[in-house]
Amino acid sequence: MIADLLTTPALSMSTDAASLSVGTGPSWVLLIPFLALLGAALCGVYAALGVKTKAPAWTIVALLAASFAATVAMWLGFDGNPYTVKAFDWIQVRWGEGTGAAAFIANFSFYVDTLTIYWMLFVTGLATLIALYASEYMSHDVGTGYSRFFAAFSLFVFSMACLVMGDNFIMLYLGWEGVGLCSYLLIGYFYKKPSAVAAAKKAFIVNRIGDLGLALGIYLIFVHFGTVEFAALFADAKLQGYLEAAKVGNFDDIPAMAKAIPLLLMVGAFGKSAQFPLYVWLPDAMEGPTPVSALIHAATMVTAGVYLIARTYPLFLTSEIALPIVAWIGTITALLAATIGMAQFDIKRIMAYSTVSQLGYMFAGLGVLTPTGAAYHTLTHAFFKALLFLCCGAVMHGFAGQLDLRKLSGLRKVPGWRWVTIGMLVGCLNLAGFPITAGYFSKDTILAEAFVTPGASVIGFLLLLTAGLTAYYTFRVFFRVFMGPVHYEAGEEGHDHEHHDDHAHDTPGHHGDHESEPHSVESEPASQGPEHTSSEEKHFAKHSPAPDKAKQHEFHPHAPGWAINAVLITLTALSVLASGLYFVGGNKDLHTKHYAGTMIAQSTAAYDTPYDKYAFKGEHAVAQPGVGPRGVIAEPLTMPIIGGDPHKMMYFVSGVIGLVGIALAWWLHLAGRTTAAECRMDKVARMFGPIPKWAEHKWYVDEFYHAVFRMPLVIVSHLSHWFDKLVIDGLVNLFGLLPRVLGGLIRPSQSGALQGYAAGMIGGAAVLLLVVLLIAARIGGAA
Amino acid sequence: MSPLWTILLILVPLAGALLVIFGGDGKNAYRDALWASIASLVPAVMMLIRFDYTRAAEFQGAASWTWIEQLGLRLSIGTDSIALLLIALTVLLGPVCVLASKTAITKHRRMYYAWLLILQAAMVGVFASRDLLMFYICFEFTLLPMFVLIRMFGSTNRVAASTKFFLYTFTGSIIALAGLVYVVGFAADLNGAWSLDIGVLTAAAAQMSAGQQAMVLGALLAGFAVKVPLFPVHTWLPLAHTEAPTAGSVILAGVLLKLGTYGIYRFAIPMAPAAFTEYAPAIATLSIVGIIYAGLICWIQDDIKKLVAYSSVSHLGFCVLGLAALNAAGLSGSVLYMLSHGLSTGGLFLMIGFMYERYHTRDMRKVSGLASKMPVWAFFMVFFAMASVGLPGLNGFPSELLCLIGAFQADEAWTLAGEPGAAGVTLGPWYAAVAGLGMVIAAMYLLIMVGRICFGPLVEPEGHHAHAVLPDDLNTREIITLLPLAVGCLVFGFFPGLLLDAIHDPVNQTLELVRAGSAAAADTAGAFTQGVRP
Repeated sequence: MIADLLTTPALSMSTDAASLSVGTGPSWVLLIPFLALLGAALCGVYAALGVKTKAPAWTIVALLAASFAATVAMWLGFDGNPYTVKAFDWIQVRWGEGTGAAAFIANFSFYVDTLTIYWMLFVTGLATLIALYASEYMSHDVGTGYSRFFAAFSLFVFSMACLVMGDNFIMLYLGWEGVGLCSYLLIGYFYKKPSAVAAAKKAFIVNRIGDLGLALGIYLIFVHFGTVEFAALFADAKLQGYLEAAKVGNFDDIPAMAKAIPLLLMVGAFGKSAQFPLYVWLPDAMEGPTPVSALIHAATMVTAGVYLIARTYPLFLTSEIALPIVAWIGTITALLAATIGMAQFDIKRIMAYSTVSQLGYMFAGLGVLTPTGAAYHTLTHAFFKALLFLCCGAVMHGFAGQLDLRKLSGLRKVPGWRWVTIGMLVGCLNLAGFPITAGYFSKDTILAEAFVTPGASVIGFLLLLTAGLTAYYTFRVFFRVFMGPVHYEAGEEGHDHEHHDDHAHDTPGHHGDHESEPHSVESEPASQGPEHTSSEEKHFAKHSPAPDKAKQHEFHPHAPGWAINAVLITLTALSVLASGLYFVGGNKDLHTKHYAGTMIAQSTAAYDTPYDKYAFKGEHAVAQPGVGPRGVIAEPLTMPIIGGDPHKMMYFVSGVIGLVGIALAWWLHLAGRTTAAECRMDKVARMFGPIPKWAEHKWYVDEFYHAVFRMPLVIVSHLSHWFDKLVIDGLVNLFGLLPRVLGGLIRPSQSGALQGYAAGMIGGAAVLLLVVLLIAARIGGAA
Repeated sequence: MSPLWTILLILVPLAGALLVIFGGDGKNAYRDALWASIASLVPAVMMLIRFDYTRAAEFQGAASWTWIEQLGLRLSIGTDSIALLLIALTVLLGPVCVLASKTAITKHRRMYYAWLLILQAAMVGVFASRDLLMFYICFEFTLLPMFVLIRMFGSTNRVAASTKFFLYTFTGSIIALAGLVYVVGFAADLNGAWSLDIGVLTAAAAQMSAGQQAMVLGALLAGFAVKVPLFPVHTWLPLAHTEAPTAGSVILAGVLLKLGTYGIYRFAIPMAPAAFTEYAPAIATLSIVGIIYAGLICWIQDDIKKLVAYSSVSHLGFCVLGLAALNAAGLSGSVLYMLSHGLSTGGLFLMIGFMYERYHTRDMRKVSGLASKMPVWAFFMVFFAMASVGLPGLNGFPSELLCLIGAFQADEAWTLAGEPGAAGVTLGPWYAAVAGLGMVIAAMYLLIMVGRICFGPLVEPEGHHAHAVLPDDLNTREIITLLPLAVGCLVFGFFPGLLLDAIHDPVNQTLELVRAGSAAAADTAGAFTQGVRP
């Protein structure tokens, strides 16, 4: 029995994955990153030439589609053996000879296994779709801004490809910082807006703190294992030895230096994936254009931390505390962000906090030993959260930047908003974990595994609570904005005479003074179709009516055009279909049941709890005793309180909790609501005293950081500055006075300073000669 | 490789200087200087082509002329790959500096361009020299042109800046001279023959006892650390940088500071290997203090040029840290840093110069949000800032990475465990971790700079009038000025191997020397070898 347990398929799986021969792959794989880089370069050329058409968008859509096609080809052509493809030598330093020879080698080269393919499929696929969406969304900026946007967008895809496909940690780091740069450039896209510039800077700097952890982790990997290349690292005998020790819970045999590696790497992951305590940059990042929020700050870049941990999962298994820390940080983040999200009024910010919260689920999933669950949730979340953001973007685009859910209501009934409403509903159902949606299955995988992982049931309960909160705040948005009476106010954008923010057609002439008096419209503007609106706008833009005339003109929301609708429909379909992935693509020879599981099982992230490896009952694994990194588990684990197999019970428990959250949102935010601004929740909130206000202010975490970290640093900087000026330079000046005083004694006038210095220099040379002569004479005398 | 090219590289700029002085009025000076600096690219390119990279550690194109035979005084030249690459950087910056000065310098142009060319010749001389006399003369002679450039062509506080620059570095180099002279004397005692040849001196110096080495190291560092500049002897630099004309700042950042690190690499390490190994933790500590301290000072500057000037102190800290690591990664990273820092920081100084010509202020409270008015300028500003931040894919990254890995690795614990290790230096993870904070701080100060000067609403100084000659945004000449640096940043970001392969041999040879030297010193520990004749 024990002997059986020692050969757990779980851990031998990762050994298998690593010991598979890593060959050289076809070089067309290089097209995936380099097509995106080409796109960025072409957009640079467009910008330099001052192209005033949509050419940048179509170029990028075409190139990214080709990149996606290449990714699909890579997937279909993959035979189960990981391979590398080298573009060129990058950083190589060699030293020593013979047996002492060693080297630091990081090539510009790519590593392809199922984890890479899994990630790249949704990265390139979503990037293509969102580029298409952005072609319409950004159309108000056609010209240099448009080229700049798509250049950074495409550069982002290149960086993300380097991050996910890189065959060594330095390539991963290149991608890691590269996506940070693109995120910086795109958050700060509206660069005249101080808040956007500040948000961009904050994102980059907070990420850099994480990057430092990642960098130190990489150095430690290099020093400890002598390589930074994935293929060599995962085949390393030392690492395999550690894994053997971890398998039987013998963590004392693993050196502390090796155990420190995951602790450092996770700091990087927390920064990039906006986890507590480094999550504060992501909500501010919503200053960027919405397609950017959808692609970078919801679907792809922020999952880089999940990818990093999945990629280096064997390293995390060698520490008995690394994964529990990841699980707890994820759980704390999920709960904290959900509480903040409940109290926000800006729908894009709510989505941002929900992203932070859902990323918390993914980290918790990694921490409770289900990289499969984490990866599956990453995929489903990428679809439905991109969908939700793009729907919010369509609202923002159509209502002149209006994002306040107290000023938007009943959009369902406004003509031209059908697909947005459907998309939003599907996205919300997924996010809320409504039964049989993709989000429901992926979240359940994580929740159930939390209950079967020893010592993690508290995490399970907290995540269940968070699931309820998530359902509540998600449908709070839907019931407020899309349901109820028709009532909306235009936002304040499009009135900035310097530049046009997010909104396309609100040229200054169109709305005149609306910004000072937001205009409320209660009637159904049935006669205003999109065609009508745009022709009217052209008219007004051309003639620039006087403000008082424009004032009389009512605000008409601008329904999305074909590109936005097509992308929304596609993403809606994908979000629905993603739940099918839970049932297809399975390989019964492997321990897992579905597409994500199969992909993960063949990669370096291969590890799931041992429990579901043993007994298959229909669709589910049943909790069984086994051996895990925490040692031998004797008792089968059951769902706390209600008992039964957690995997099965979770379907009912989380389904009920999701429905309760939705019902609560319905009762508080929709039932009996007659205006956009007021609802039953206003009264209920008062019962909680100041707590909702605190939550709205994000629990004052930003203020806390400002007071505890930034202010002391500012003070230290100023002190350093004055210390430099007064003490260090003061001493120098004091010392400098000496020769001047002496010089003053000898030569009263300061004239001819230049000649004086020249003389001094020649004097120095003379001293050299003199000393030389003296010594030479000495040698001569001695010889 | 023929020594002819090296000689031409010194003579062409000198001839150019003569042409500038005697070739007509100020209008011709710019043109003549430009041609002279472009002409000197030819021998530099020839050197790069003719150099035999399979023997990169050897001094190629060597030539030697006897001066006073009895005293062993000779003039010798020759370059290994590191000297060659630094020479190439120096010569590349020549036309850049001349181009950048066309509209910035309106008075005394003949004097300006003549000194600029003489400075270039002197810097090439420093790197090409193989005997102490020529090295020292050229080393000192870089001071005078720079002094004049700051004194005559600097901004408001130029007198104080130039005086401090001159006196500070001159004092330092006098002390370094004393150390070198001591080595000369020791070598003469040891060999019984008199020589100023750097190779001979280096070989002899390794025989010094630990105490002697420590003394020599102290003297050499006094000179070279001021040049770098290392904390706490850095205060001349922000002042000199801020007041110098744009081209002066570019040369200062690009080459003159590297004379310090090059001096440490070429003299301090090989001549006092045991002492350097012993004091490496102290040197590393000073550089780390510099990285953090100068970085924080950058963060709160309103004067954009002072910000970039202090950033040089912070950046060069990484360079010295790499040297102190005394392993292949650290030394390679450090040499790479010498080559790449000039491109990115030089680029930033050019950007500031172009902005200054238009607005006549460096105060970011008075001028900001320039992206809407000068998009091309803003693009390059962001580009060079990112290179300076150490973004992977640009030139700063490989060098910073290797310096930090070098420091991280330089721990006896690794060496003893048979892992890739150092030559007995104990720095280790904590050094790298604290220095790594510099990465975060660099992002803080460079992004706050970019955020203020490029982004946000447009702010122009009161009473600003459009420049009479220059357009709002960069003109073609200015873009051409920037391109060599920008292209260099990209090429060495993606292909640092071009440089790393070239410097592999000399770096490893230096390491061998250090190992042998420290071992020898350990053997003869305490033995006072002076007076012992072979």
